[in-house]
Amino acid sequence: MLNQTPLLGQERFVAPAVETEHPLAADVDTSQPPESQWKQAWKSLRTSWIFWASSILLLIVLVVVLFPGLFTSVDPRAADLSRSLEGPQPGHIFGFDRQGYDVFARTIHGARASVVIGLLTTLIVTIIGLFTGAIAAFFGGWVDTIISRLADIFFAIPLLLAAIVGLSALNNVWPNRGYWGGVLAVVFALAAFGWPQLTRIARGAVMEIKNLEFVDAARSLGSSKWRNLFTHIIPNALPPVIVTATVSLGVYIVAEATLSFLGIGLPPSVVSWGNDIAAAQPQVRSGDNLHVLFFPAGALALTVLSFMLLGDAVRDALDPKARK
Amino acid sequence: MWRYIVRRLLQTIPVVLGSTLLIYALVFLQPGDPIVALFGEKPVSEAARAQLEAQYNLDQPFLIQWLLFLKGALVGDFGISYSGQPVADLIARTLPVTFQLAFMAMIIEAILGVIAGFYAGIRRGKIFDSTMLIVSLIVIAIPIFVLGFALQLIFGVQLQWVPPTVGSNTTFTNLLLPAVVLGLVSFAYVLRLTRTSVIENLTADHVRTARAHGVSDSLVNRRHVLRNSLIPVVTFLGADLGTLMAGAVVTEGIFNINGIGNLAYQAILRGENPTVVSVVTIMVLIYVVASLLVDLLYAALDPRIRYA
Repeated sequence: MLNQTPLLGQERFVAPAVETEHPLAADVDTSQPPESQWKQAWKSLRTSWIFWASSILLLIVLVVVLFPGLFTSVDPRAADLSRSLEGPQPGHIFGFDRQGYDVFARTIHGARASVVIGLLTTLIVTIIGLFTGAIAAFFGGWVDTIISRLADIFFAIPLLLAAIVGLSALNNVWPNRGYWGGVLAVVFALAAFGWPQLTRIARGAVMEIKNLEFVDAARSLGSSKWRNLFTHIIPNALPPVIVTATVSLGVYIVAEATLSFLGIGLPPSVVSWGNDIAAAQPQVRSGDNLHVLFFPAGALALTVLSFMLLGDAVRDALDPKARK
Repeated sequence: MWRYIVRRLLQTIPVVLGSTLLIYALVFLQPGDPIVALFGEKPVSEAARAQLEAQYNLDQPFLIQWLLFLKGALVGDFGISYSGQPVADLIARTLPVTFQLAFMAMIIEAILGVIAGFYAGIRRGKIFDSTMLIVSLIVIAIPIFVLGFALQLIFGVQLQWVPPTVGSNTTFTNLLLPAVVLGLVSFAYVLRLTRTSVIENLTADHVRTARAHGVSDSLVNRRHVLRNSLIPVVTFLGADLGTLMAGAVVTEGIFNINGIGNLAYQAILRGENPTVVSVVTIMVLIYVVASLLVDLLYAALDPRIRYA
C-alpha cells in the first residue's frame, strides 16, 4: 500500500491539471490549402507601423525619382553666381550652394542617380548571389567548392577599396561616359565585388532547406532535380536573401556617396546626392553655410533609413520566431 | 583539430592567389603606358625604356609579372614604386598607423557595441532599446564622411577638445576622434547583432534551467546570456578588421592621417600600380588571417563546435 505520510523532504505540491482541448483532426479545415508563408508574412507586416512609414517614404522617393518635374521647375544646372551660398528663403526653401545652384532642385534631381544605383546594384547582386548560392548548395561537391572559393576571392578584397580600383580601371577604358554611363560604371564596380555576400546567404539558406521532408516528398512524387530546385527550394530560401538585399540596398547608396566623395564615383557633371555632399564639404569647414550640406545629406540618410527599416520589418514578418 | 587547421590553411591559398591575380589584372591589364607617364612630355629613349621595363618586369608576360610579384611578396619585397621608393618602406611607414587606428576603432566598437546591445536586448521594447535601435540606424544611414565631418567640426573646430587634423603626430589622444568615426558604423552593427543574439538566448533552454535553479537574474544574464551571445559578435569582428582597414581610406582622408588607406587612395589616383597591388595584397592577407583566427577561436568559445 502507499505510504500516506510522505518522508521528510518529499512533500510535493501538485498543481491542479488544466488541460486545453486539442482540436480534433477531423475538425481541421482541409478544403483550403494552408496559408503560404508569404500570406502569413503579409498579415503580420500590415500591422507594423514601421513598414507603412518606410513604404510611404520610399513611395515618395520613387515618385521624386520618376517625375522630378512635379516637385520643382528650377533647372538643377542653372547657376546664378550672384546668389552663391545664400541661405534658405521663400521660393528657394533650401537656399543656394557655392555655384549658385538651387539646393532644393538639386536635392530633388539628385535622387535619381542614388536610387537607381542602389536598386540596380541590389538587383544584379541578388540575381547572381541567389543562383550561384543555390547551385553551390544544391549540387555540392566540386561545384560548391569552385563557387565558394570564387566567392571567397571576391569577398577577401574590401568592397570600398575594390570599387575604387575597379572604377579607376573603368575610367581608363571607358572615359567620358555621360550620365547613364557614369551610373552604370558605379553599378558594375559595386556589383562585381558585392555578390559574394548574397551567395553566402543563399547558399546557407538552401543548405538548410534541401534536406527537409517536403523536398523529399516532392522528389518521391517524381519531381525532377531542376523542378525541385526552382519550384520548391529557391522560393523557400528567399526570405533571408530578400532581407539582406533590402538592407544592402541602403549600403550601396551610401557606398555611391562615399565613392563620389572620394572623387572617383560619378562624374562631377552628374547631379547626385553624393556629388553634392562632396562639393559641400569645403563650404562648411568653418561651420557656416550648413544648409549646403544638410539637405542632400538629409535626403540620402532618410532614403537609406527607410530601406533599412523596411528590411527590418520584412525580416520580422518573415521570421515566425520574431513575431510577437 | 590539427587536421582542421591544415585544411583551413590550404583553403586560404587559392583565395590569396585568386584575389591578388584579380587585383593585379584590374590594375595592370589597362591601356596606357606607365613608362610614358613616368617621362611626362619628354620623349623616351629606347635604352631607358628597356632598362625601366626590365626593372618593373614590364617586359615579361602578364602572368609572369604576377608570379614575380608573388615571389617577392613572399619575402617582404614588394618592388619599387614608379616614383622610386621601395613599396615595402611605404607600407612599413603607414601600416602601423592604420593598425593603431583600426585597433582603437575595434576596441571602441566592441566594448560600446556589446554593452549597449546587451542592455537593449535584456530590456527589449523599452526606451533604451528603442533609442539604441534608432541611433544605430541613423549611424548606418548617414555616410561616414558626413558623420566624420560633423564630429570634426564639433569637437575639433568649435569645442577644440582634439586637433581637427592629425598629420604626422599620431598619439593616442589625436587618433581618438578618427578611431571613433572609423568604428561608428561597425558599432551600430555590433549593437544590433548583440541585441538580436541576446534576445534569442534569453528564451534558450539552458537560460530557463538556470533561472529555474534560482540563479539570480544578473548572474544568469552575465554568465549564460551574454557569453553565449558573444559568438556571432566575434565572427563579425574578425571579418570587420578588413572593412576597418578599407574604411580608413575615408577616415584618414578627413583627418589627414598618413596611413595605409591614404597611401592606397593616392596610389590609385596617381596610377602607382606596384603600390596599389601591394597594399591590396596586405589587406587581403589581413582579412584571411583574421577570419582564420576567428574560426579557431570558435572552438574555444563554443564547445559544441568540434573540428573533425
